[in-house]
Amino acid sequence: MKIDRRSFLGLGLGAAAGVAVSPATWKLMDDSSIWTQNWSWTPVPRDGEVTFDNTVCSLCPGNCGLSVRKIDGRPVKIEGRADYPVNTGGVCLHGVSGLQYLYDPSRIKTPLKRTGDTFEAISWDDALELVATKLAEIKDAGKADRIACVTNHGVGTIPGLFGRFVKALGSNNVYAMDTMDKTWEKTLEKMHGVHGTLGFDLENSDFVLSFGTGLIEGWGSPVSNFKANSSRKERGATLVQVEPRLSNTAANADTWIAAKPNTEADLALGMANVIISNNLYNTGYYVSGFGPGFDELTAMLKENYSPEAVAQTTGIKAAVIVDLAKRFVKAGAPVAIAGKGKGATPGSMREFAAVHLLNCLAGNINTKGGAWILSPQDYDQWPAVEMDDAASEAIEKPAMDPAGSVAGFFAKAGADKSVEALLISDANPCFALADAQAVTKAVQDIPFVVSFSSFMDETTQLADVVLPSHTFLERTEDLPSGAGMARRVTGLAKPVIDPVFNTKNPGDAILAIAKAMEGTVGDSFPWESYEECLEAVTGDLWSDLSDQGYAAVQETPPATRPSVDFTFVAQNPAPIAAEGTEADFALILVPLDNVRIAAGSIASSPFAVKTVADTVLLGKDVLVEMNPETAKANKLSQGDLAVIETPRGKATVKVNLFEGIMPGVVAMVKGLGHAMDENRYVNGKGVNINELMGPVMDADSGLDAVWGIRAKISKA
Amino acid sequence: MDSALIPEGAKRCPFPVFALGLAAVGVVVLWGVYAMGLCWFKGLNQTNMNDYYGFALWIWADLAVIAIGGGAFFTGLLRYVFGIDELKNIVNLTVVIGFICYSSALLILAIDIGQPLRGWFIFWHANVHSMLTEVAFCLSLYFSVLTIEFIPLILENRQVDKVPFFHNLGHNMHGVMAIFAATGAFLSCFHQGSLGGVAGVMYGRPFAYREGFLVWPWTFFLFTWSAAAYGPCFTLTVLKMFEKITKKKLVKDNVVHLLAKISGWMITTYIIAKIIDTIYWATVTAPSQGFKFMDFYSNNSFYGVWILVLEIAVCGIVPAVLLTKKSFRENPKLLLTAIILGTIGVCLNRWVMVLQIMAVPVMSFDTWALYIPSWQEVATTVLPVAYGVILIALAYRYLPVFPQERELNAD
Amino acid sequence: MKQDKHGKNHKFGMVVDLDKCTGCGSCMVACMSENNVPFKEDESNKKDSLTWMRVYKITNGKSFPETEICYMPRPCMHCGGKGDHGHSPCVSVCPAVATDYDHSSGIVSQIYTRCFGCRYCMGACPYHARYFNWWDPKWPEGMESYLSPDVSPRMRGVVEKCSFCFHRYQEARDLAYVEERDDIEEQEYQTACTQACPAGAITFGDLNNPDHAVSQLVEPDAHNCGKPKNPKAFRLLERLQTNPKVYYVSEREWVRKAGDNYLDGEWEKVKNNHGKDHG
Repeated sequence: MKIDRRSFLGLGLGAAAGVAVSPATWKLMDDSSIWTQNWSWTPVPRDGEVTFDNTVCSLCPGNCGLSVRKIDGRPVKIEGRADYPVNTGGVCLHGVSGLQYLYDPSRIKTPLKRTGDTFEAISWDDALELVATKLAEIKDAGKADRIACVTNHGVGTIPGLFGRFVKALGSNNVYAMDTMDKTWEKTLEKMHGVHGTLGFDLENSDFVLSFGTGLIEGWGSPVSNFKANSSRKERGATLVQVEPRLSNTAANADTWIAAKPNTEADLALGMANVIISNNLYNTGYYVSGFGPGFDELTAMLKENYSPEAVAQTTGIKAAVIVDLAKRFVKAGAPVAIAGKGKGATPGSMREFAAVHLLNCLAGNINTKGGAWILSPQDYDQWPAVEMDDAASEAIEKPAMDPAGSVAGFFAKAGADKSVEALLISDANPCFALADAQAVTKAVQDIPFVVSFSSFMDETTQLADVVLPSHTFLERTEDLPSGAGMARRVTGLAKPVIDPVFNTKNPGDAILAIAKAMEGTVGDSFPWESYEECLEAVTGDLWSDLSDQGYAAVQETPPATRPSVDFTFVAQNPAPIAAEGTEADFALILVPLDNVRIAAGSIASSPFAVKTVADTVLLGKDVLVEMNPETAKANKLSQGDLAVIETPRGKATVKVNLFEGIMPGVVAMVKGLGHAMDENRYVNGKGVNINELMGPVMDADSGLDAVWGIRAKISKA
Repeated sequence: MDSALIPEGAKRCPFPVFALGLAAVGVVVLWGVYAMGLCWFKGLNQTNMNDYYGFALWIWADLAVIAIGGGAFFTGLLRYVFGIDELKNIVNLTVVIGFICYSSALLILAIDIGQPLRGWFIFWHANVHSMLTEVAFCLSLYFSVLTIEFIPLILENRQVDKVPFFHNLGHNMHGVMAIFAATGAFLSCFHQGSLGGVAGVMYGRPFAYREGFLVWPWTFFLFTWSAAAYGPCFTLTVLKMFEKITKKKLVKDNVVHLLAKISGWMITTYIIAKIIDTIYWATVTAPSQGFKFMDFYSNNSFYGVWILVLEIAVCGIVPAVLLTKKSFRENPKLLLTAIILGTIGVCLNRWVMVLQIMAVPVMSFDTWALYIPSWQEVATTVLPVAYGVILIALAYRYLPVFPQERELNAD
Repeated sequence: MKQDKHGKNHKFGMVVDLDKCTGCGSCMVACMSENNVPFKEDESNKKDSLTWMRVYKITNGKSFPETEICYMPRPCMHCGGKGDHGHSPCVSVCPAVATDYDHSSGIVSQIYTRCFGCRYCMGACPYHARYFNWWDPKWPEGMESYLSPDVSPRMRGVVEKCSFCFHRYQEARDLAYVEERDDIEEQEYQTACTQACPAGAITFGDLNNPDHAVSQLVEPDAHNCGKPKNPKAFRLLERLQTNPKVYYVSEREWVRKAGDNYLDGEWEKVKNNHGKDHG
């Protein structure tokens, strides 16, 4: 058949009409839309039976109770546990993000051994054997005192097992990461002669005077403090925030006192002077508890801390200081608190003592709504450690840092390169300590480093052996409260899922190493498993812990009020100066804590990073906050790329203008600048402020008291 | 080599030259098609649109081509319904331009939606309250009408016309064209209007929102009116471009001046209405929502009040004056200025109603959002232009688009 | 109009106490976790970051040390629209009925499989509460394990937004049905953000039910489209007549003023004039 133009056109038209009329077109349209509704690359979560498991969060010292919603045994959502005494249903964003830590593909999935610059996967047996052998070698060489451990927290049975293990080897070098708790301990020793820590009954106080504490930026036990802050609004209680920058806490407070940086102690002492000179202090406590040094203090304050003099130092009007002092001391249940930001760094003892002086003068020690002097947590009862001759001999040698400061320990370790082995559990000192570069160098110089961590963080990257830990959702662990909480609650974390990867509870790992070492070391650890150990050492607490997931140890203030020794404050200790000279560095850089950024041992989750404002982190750049006036003086404007330089280092940053920060002060957020290649949600985002700041050791406490550093900034 | 297809008596450039030109534009088309493919296969992340700028360059291009394609329905209306016979000499051009514009608009919409394969839901699950539903229905129907209007012109090709069936078909279609033109005008009125309604009904957006008549906000009527008024400007601009490129006179001056005059009076009435609308909105509608007129034109680095001056004065009042006064519009330079300004004016109006309404912050603590299109957006926006150039070149070469061409260019 | 089997319509709404809100971001993450909201490597461009619940930081604009800031959590407002008849700005423009107003609960729904991604609703929403899936949602390897079956993950090319955790409402209703109760209790249906808020700043419940905390907190005026009678309460962009079901409470005047736009001098006239129309 010949196809001429005419029939061709006819056929074409016919075909077009046929396609239009045939159901194929409509069917294809329908199918294609159904296809778009079921794309194979869009996940379809499986359905199943819903159950809830309770556990306790250990991402920060807050230790909130969690309720984990599960589908067919698969955790899908973390919520706050409504009947938990710390957080009563509330939960912070890091806790909610827990499942992102659990399933993080950049987690360490199996034990690792360093070979040159890389890691090689090994079995648990080999890894434990390797660690046991190496530690035994060191011990046998008579260098047991050169073995050290650094844990994240200092309390609970997992840190307890680490401490016990290192002790059994013959070393006193047992450290937990430095926090404000350590400074409080030292302050209480100086001012009350007691060993213990301080808790603040914020939910019952009617006048909270906060010297830079980030009550709602994640200080202490964050959710508990959020709750107390909300109840303050309902109770009509007052919050006064002293801080050079309008933090969220300052913004939420009734009054914001924008004192110059590092003049908190001066303000407190000035207030103390007003209180004493007006005879406004608590007379009952004066009679029963005011001990040595009160007269010297009175004279010293009168001489050095008149309202006018303090106004000069702090930049706060004398009348404001007098009024604040009077309002504070006349309040029904006032409390003064210290510990900057999240309270994750120690701070200066002069400041803590000056602030605590106000509590003493107000007589609110161990009262409802006041400051509670809590004895050390001692529910965990351990059998005596067994030691052979070598260990007994080694343990006679003092700890490398007698003050127990982890910053001091690493400074010493870096200086004399004497540490033979370091065990690190859930801590990341190479990121979280000031002068991170120096700490990194110190760790690199240690011949044998073992990391018990879930993540390949900055410190773990330097390890020789990595023994991967369960995350908090996979492990059992007792978690005692602390961190400024007045009430005492000990929580029990319980696994909500079988381990996702080939990991172990660090408690079990330590037990296994000890057993492999045999001898007295092995004998010191008679338990078959960590859980058995936990049950044995928690004793009386165990039934409550296992039944209800927590044990409330103390709800009311301690019955007795220790007396006050004013001698330390009366000596008028000198303030801790910022490193650098004003001539070279005109500005002051202060670290700031942002509740949405995890700044401690753990990096932020993808969800948490997502919530961070574009005025804090933009792309890979961190923004440094400064007053428009400061910016103008340094020829900078919003969004400019700039170089910030301190005596310790320099970094490229961006500029964020904020009216709420004091001119001359610039602030940079903590917790950014991770170098974790596998975790693309945090890797290389921003700058770690600890690379710009160094430790400033406080002679009074032996702890790092850095609060800021001098800096300069110019357009990049 | 293609001389058999070229209309009788018409002079066209040699085929190789023509082919070379087509190839050059073809490269642009390929670039656009590549970008279009990226948008379809990788998704709209290829664009620089964002949650603040859900409507951006494409939607502006879409509204702009529909507005300037408005010459088709309006000239058709004048020619077939009102019987202004002289316009038959330019109506073919308006139909071709209209066809290009509307097919482009549909193509842009198909790229612009996040789920192109579900595009037909707009018909199947139609929400009759949505202006966009009205747009979709009228747009696709009117495109069918334009196709029907275009067919007789294609049938006039020398070779096609030789086939008796097509010859007769073409002849008969011409006979009923008035019905289609009227239908087209009706549909076009509605979809031009509903495109205006798209912005005008957004009562959460004080910069866009307008009160109105029944369910239609004032922008509904202003859009129809402006398309009718400015559409012919674009038709004439294209004609002038043709005449410049081909170095031939293609349509007699009296026809051009007639269309220019009608356009001029339409612009005059439109711009009066637009000014009244603007004043009412600035003094009554916006203040009732807490906004000062200048809130919409300050505190940002881009949308100053000049954009309003440009739209209303420079591209509205000026062409209106130039086209209504006989001596001005018969001055070739002034005429050209006027029709170009008119074309820019209507495009600018659509820009303001698409881009600026998205940029203006509404919540007191929100900020202006600015956006720069990605190359994929630019390429896909240039694509219809390039396609239009090719189609119109083909039409000119092979179809008797300009009935007066022979007469005006007889040696 | 669909009615509950009890014959009475619910009108679920939210009250946020801005004086309690600390800007901590728990609500944002609780929402993302509850609703399978995906995340990208870089989320610092807030104009394409899917946050059904977004916390804005607002300031009083004064210089140091008079500066004040306030955090303002912004979920979908579930607007009742003009006259509170359910013609929300977004619902009325959606060409394919992919978003709809449920008269029995007052919740504005979003049907992801119906939406074809024209984004008209996003343009119509003055609160920027609607988000487009510019990318295919992707979870890092293994993280799909935590996805909840209660909310289907969205595909690329569609719009999504806060649903007031509608699936929780369905679950509560199902339970009430099984237990042969007519209606659900206030505590049985709470959104994920409300539940998570560590400051207790968010309250959720039925605005039509005078026993519910939300009603008592803001005293919605039923004869005035739910406008709050409590002078310390306000709704965002009240003057646009979108009639949101999210209310804010603050003792601070500048915060309440920031909730809407006012011409010079207007605020002074309207600030104490609650429960009545703005001139």
